[in-house]
Amino acid sequence: MNNQIVTYYKKVEFFFGNLKFAVVIITLFAIYLGYGTFMESYHGTEYANRLVYKSFPFMAIQFGMFLSILFATLIRLPAKKHLYGFYVIHAGLIILFLGSWVTYQSGVDGTITLAPNLPSREIQINEDELKIQFPAKGREVSVNMPYVAGPKDLDLEYEGIKLKTFLPFSEDKLEWIPIKIQEGSQSSSRYRLYNENFGEFLTLTLHPLSDFNNTMKLGLLNVHYMPSTLAPCFSAENPEGLIVWNGQTQDCLAPQKKHIKKSKGMGGKERFEIEFDGKVLSFLPSMSPLPLNEKMELNENSQYRIFSKKLFENSAHIFVFGKEAAYFDKETKKWIAKPIELNGEIDLPWMGFKLRLLEHREDAYPTLSPHYIKPVQENGQVIMGDMKAVQVEVNGQTFWVKSQDPIAFNQNGERITFRLGKKSIVLPYELVLDEFKMDTDPGTSNPASFESFVTLFKGNEGSSKHHIYMNNPLKHENFTFYQASYFQTQQGPFGSVLSVNFDPGRFWKYLGSLLLVLGSIWHYFLRRKHIQKPGVTRA
Amino acid sequence: MLKTFLSLLLLISFSAQAQMDLCNPDLEKQPVQAGGRVKPLYVLAEETIKFVTGDSKVDNLSATDAFCKLTLKAFGMPLNLPIKVKVDHVDVRKFLGMDENSTSIAVDTLIGKVGEIETELAQLKENNSYKKELNRVNQRLRTYGAVVEARAWTVPVQKGDKLDFVPIAEFLTETRMKEAKEKSDNPVKYALNEARELYTRVQGDDYLLELKYFKWNLFLWAMLSAIMAILLLFGLKNKTPGLIFTALSIILQVISMTMRVMISGRAPVTNMYETVMFSGFGALIISCIITLYRKEIIFLLAGLAYNVLSLMMMRFAHGMLDAGISPLVPVLRDNFWLSTHVTTIILSYAALALSWILANAILIRSRFFEVSSKEYRYQADLIYSSIKFGVVLLAAGIILGGVWADYSWGRFWGWDPKETWSLIVLLIYMAILHGRYTSWIPAHRFVALVAGAFMSVMMAWFGVNYILASGLHSYGFSEGGAIFLGSFFAVQIAILLIGTIKKKA
Repeated sequence: MNNQIVTYYKKVEFFFGNLKFAVVIITLFAIYLGYGTFMESYHGTEYANRLVYKSFPFMAIQFGMFLSILFATLIRLPAKKHLYGFYVIHAGLIILFLGSWVTYQSGVDGTITLAPNLPSREIQINEDELKIQFPAKGREVSVNMPYVAGPKDLDLEYEGIKLKTFLPFSEDKLEWIPIKIQEGSQSSSRYRLYNENFGEFLTLTLHPLSDFNNTMKLGLLNVHYMPSTLAPCFSAENPEGLIVWNGQTQDCLAPQKKHIKKSKGMGGKERFEIEFDGKVLSFLPSMSPLPLNEKMELNENSQYRIFSKKLFENSAHIFVFGKEAAYFDKETKKWIAKPIELNGEIDLPWMGFKLRLLEHREDAYPTLSPHYIKPVQENGQVIMGDMKAVQVEVNGQTFWVKSQDPIAFNQNGERITFRLGKKSIVLPYELVLDEFKMDTDPGTSNPASFESFVTLFKGNEGSSKHHIYMNNPLKHENFTFYQASYFQTQQGPFGSVLSVNFDPGRFWKYLGSLLLVLGSIWHYFLRRKHIQKPGVTRA
Repeated sequence: MLKTFLSLLLLISFSAQAQMDLCNPDLEKQPVQAGGRVKPLYVLAEETIKFVTGDSKVDNLSATDAFCKLTLKAFGMPLNLPIKVKVDHVDVRKFLGMDENSTSIAVDTLIGKVGEIETELAQLKENNSYKKELNRVNQRLRTYGAVVEARAWTVPVQKGDKLDFVPIAEFLTETRMKEAKEKSDNPVKYALNEARELYTRVQGDDYLLELKYFKWNLFLWAMLSAIMAILLLFGLKNKTPGLIFTALSIILQVISMTMRVMISGRAPVTNMYETVMFSGFGALIISCIITLYRKEIIFLLAGLAYNVLSLMMMRFAHGMLDAGISPLVPVLRDNFWLSTHVTTIILSYAALALSWILANAILIRSRFFEVSSKEYRYQADLIYSSIKFGVVLLAAGIILGGVWADYSWGRFWGWDPKETWSLIVLLIYMAILHGRYTSWIPAHRFVALVAGAFMSVMMAWFGVNYILASGLHSYGFSEGGAIFLGSFFAVQIAILLIGTIKKKA
């Protein structure tokens, strides 16, 4: 039995310890690394990490390297004098591998974001989690997302909430969702607005559940999407320039068709009194589209609105109604209304712009759904695909939780919030950014140094001031804080981003490295054995 | 408004003779602040004119003279210099309506196309080589604009208790000119001299070392000495004259690099130009050490050959290597780690370059001449000697990089493309060295593999910056670095094919 084990061990030792295995595994490792750098160049660091550097095959190759180094040493025991350098190199490599493994298993590598003068103790690490909050029950559940490069089916369920698919990289794509119950005008349209130098797709909708809106601003041009029933009021001759809109019946009328009373209201402003269904409503269109009630207050419950087209005559506004459009032409000083056929286009009076109708739907509304894509990197920045998303099913309804947007949902009358973000670790102390300083190279705006002045609050133990800058980190209780990046807050002052690190394998990696270098010098330079030059004989 | 005022003022106060006096060689010493540093006007003028036109002279005028005369345009001087803006990309030439073979376009013609260029740039989504070149042409035009609007040339002034720099358009104020006119017939020249004296009084005249550095051009003399050394070592039985020229080349390079270190205040390994410079020098020094250790002159010849190649690249590969001295990004501002990690890596590349030269030499020699198997094995052993230096230095350099990264960013290893490619290089050479002890890699394969393995060094050194950084879809093959690297790979593969194909009996 013992002999069998020894024979088996010898076979294993010979397989992993022989030089040919070393050549194969080193070559394989180098090829895989090269592939990783190209992936990094195409798709960014995170994608390369997920696909290559932290993947199972890569770990397996590294384990193969470890076995090769270990058995190459064991097979050459007992120690021989001429191999002392070799033993030191291989011992160094084994220690280096073990140190790296300790770091991989127990180390922390994250970031802490410090807004000016606000305490922070949360370190964000590079792993994703979905937080499901039940505010009524005061409960929160965290679900770790897998560290994968491609889409992954989760097949998880918690209290009737199903987690279906996780997308580590995605980009929103337009999708049309069928409308189940028609309530008033809920139409949606897609247009292309373009001229020689510029082009933009416009997706506009009246549906309340859509991710899109009914207005858009493109530079100086404002686009308003309205129910088609409003179109006749824009084209009708209307000297007062007023349009009354009935939100309930979805129709409009030019007020002159009714018997309008015009008078001077508050502050000399024009006041209109219009009779609807036997009731007289008063409007001050230059102040608000809402009518006034008996107490002369704005009546927000009224189904009627009034607005003045004159408000839209001095700047660039276009009103689109699905298959019609209207705008004010400054040259003729008239409102122009034009029909637009599907795939047809109309000329607009601004900088040669044209408007083309690409799609018009009454039966469905547009929404943005995440679709998996490999991220795209350009000039060191990921420009596409940096959104993560997880598909959730609640009460038979499926929706996406995206990394940028937390969303809330009702389940049996209870509100549930979903938030997809980075996993975090809470420190037992707080850091406050007192000041962030950035110096520039003289006469330029190129940064020369970043510096964070922080206060560390240790609870009952008091506080201490620290100065963190490039190559000068703060070390506190096994954690090291490094100046990494910065950002500008909406209020103006700069905030700081520190990278935070805890590395229990550091000592072993340093020791292994030292042995590796010393062993290499010993192995390559202290053994002086050369092939003699042909034609030269030893004395 | 300011321009009009200045034009009037200067036309009144400037005599034609005074204009000529202003643009004189003495102006080269004027301190200017540009790109985050203070340097002599000569250096700024050379950099600017070369960037805009691709040449250091304009119509037989020196760069400083041309720069000065162009600046005077802002003050209404009727000057008509034939400035032509360099355009490298064939498609950009087509877009600008140029002849495909013409390499530059008249600046006035280009100014008329600014709108078209801006529109084209706004429309281009992919950041490919065409867009990059169009951006560069736009940048050249803006640089020209800064010169002729007198914004590029800055002058030191006292602002409170601080020394500051202002564009010359702001410097030549009415008050300053009036005061200067009372003291000199040429008030502009007088005011500029005063500004220079002010600067040297406060900061000293150390900045003038850069003028000497660029004017002396010692690297050119070092290259000529190295070429002489090769010829003499090959041609004469007595090796002393060759060794003297080798020493001369080393001395000239040491002086020039020391000057560069004194100007920049850091180790000379912070950009591609400097790494090429340091690797060439390092290879020569390592070759001297191995020559002494192995008593074999072929190492010195290989070191000199690589040194000459490096010096030639520095002199002629302007599109890829920028000789200018610029401030460093914040994270690299640590002289200790720069001087240890980067120099160790570059020295390892230098040692591996020696093995590459020796391997290619024996490949070609064995293809066209008779080389005995004993001689072949001996040559392989010589190659192994330089690889030993290379791998030990490379391993040390990678580890030093890990320690620096740990010290600065808190991580020993992060799979950054530059560090990963350094590791790939080490792994490739380690695979070859391990394979040498198996039946897989006999002497002839070892030589071919070493010659080919240097392509991984070039990838780590240039490829990461010029190919991986630009993104693979754009490839950037019209850009200097990528063209160079592509050509290098093509030539190396051709040598490998020629060298390894068996000769007919």
